[in-house]
Amino acid sequence: MTILDWLKHAFDYMGGAQDDPPPGFGIRVEHWWFWAIWWAALALAIYVFSGQSSKFIYIDF
Amino acid sequence: MIFNSWDYYLFFLIPSAILCRAASPERRPWVMFLSGGLFFTYFSYTQFGGIAGAACLAIFLWESFVSRFYKPASWVCWFGVTQTVVFLVLFKYRNFLTGLVWHDAAHNPLYWRNAFLPLGISFFTFEFVHYAVDRYKNKTEEGTATEYLAFILFFPTMVAGPIKRYQDFLPKLRGISRAWVIDWQRGVTRILTGLVKKFAIADVLTAYTSHLNSADISRAYRPILLLWLFAYGIKIYADFSAYSDIAIGSARLFGIRVPENFDWPYLRTNITEFWRHWHMSLTSWLIDYIYIPLGGSRRAAGQVYANILVTMFVSGIWHGAGVNFIVWGLLHGVMLVVRRMWRQIRPLDPDARPPLWSQLGSWLLTYVAVNFAWAFFCMDVHTALYFFRRLLIG
Repeated sequence: MTILDWLKHAFDYMGGAQDDPPPGFGIRVEHWWFWAIWWAALALAIYVFSGQSSKFIYIDF
Repeated sequence: MIFNSWDYYLFFLIPSAILCRAASPERRPWVMFLSGGLFFTYFSYTQFGGIAGAACLAIFLWESFVSRFYKPASWVCWFGVTQTVVFLVLFKYRNFLTGLVWHDAAHNPLYWRNAFLPLGISFFTFEFVHYAVDRYKNKTEEGTATEYLAFILFFPTMVAGPIKRYQDFLPKLRGISRAWVIDWQRGVTRILTGLVKKFAIADVLTAYTSHLNSADISRAYRPILLLWLFAYGIKIYADFSAYSDIAIGSARLFGIRVPENFDWPYLRTNITEFWRHWHMSLTSWLIDYIYIPLGGSRRAAGQVYANILVTMFVSGIWHGAGVNFIVWGLLHGVMLVVRRMWRQIRPLDPDARPPLWSQLGSWLLTYVAVNFAWAFFCMDVHTALYFFRRLLIG
């Protein structure tokens, strides 16, 4: 696995698109303390940036 | 404004997903069908088309009724395909097509003043056509009427995909995953990631992309023009992949895995690979229901190039009722043809790994070409040509 493939896999895993982490990645799905912090960080980012009203581009109305 | 609204999560996604998992296998299609029907009616009525929009639920019920008569090699399947395409043309292209004849809307006797689009029509059209064609070819089983309604009204993917296939969906519907802890952990993570992409990347870039209009283009420095266009390239990726993340994550809460739509398309080193990883469920639909029926790659070179151009023309016009979308689709078609011609002149050695500089050059060329083509996606043809004139000549 190249570095680029490993990074893509790691990003996908952190974003919920992969069930298993890449080799050597320490965080597992069972590590609830980590995911609680991660979800809180994502929720904070959503809170900070929300409020801009724009529709999704691909919804054709 | 569906996936980024509280209504979606509190009134539809969370209750329906819990109910679906709690229900017996026989009742799950009913939960999906009824929740999808309520979802369609609620968001159509409150946001898109009012009562007339909500009444379009009848399209799903009618399609479900007609689909019961789809049998292998039956003419009814072609009737189903035709009526689906007629629905799409009537709602989406009526004003565009009649506008080609009567340029002035005031003098167009067929102009539809209060035009609206039924929620998700561009996407459910694909699923209706897929089912009719695959039933004709006996590539999928019939299923029950409720299972079919659950398939077409499955609300996480109803509005803008990913475009599902019945033969993939049905086994998942009948045997919903029992590993709800991992499904909810991954699903919620996916939804939150999608919302961050939408709010923190796509919406923030609107500050740049909103300048892509004639007035601002006429005043901007040339490097700034490039910045705006490349910002649009990132915005549309962040926006649509965010949408797909939320749809896929939502489906996961039900215990159903739907097809992926994106796999790092901007890292690809040629235009063919780009399309294999951008809006993947659309690409595979276009290949299966347009490109291959036209003859695909098993024809003389000229016919294959024509097939590619026709397929990308359909892709372009499907993206929007405008000449600019046709130009955008055909531009991609031309790029795909040029890439195919190039590979016929210089065939790839499957055992040789290209040097790094070659890969970087190919990536840069692909990235720039895709981003330049976005100009025809986000601006009308006249404005896009003006954009390039300002960019190249000054």
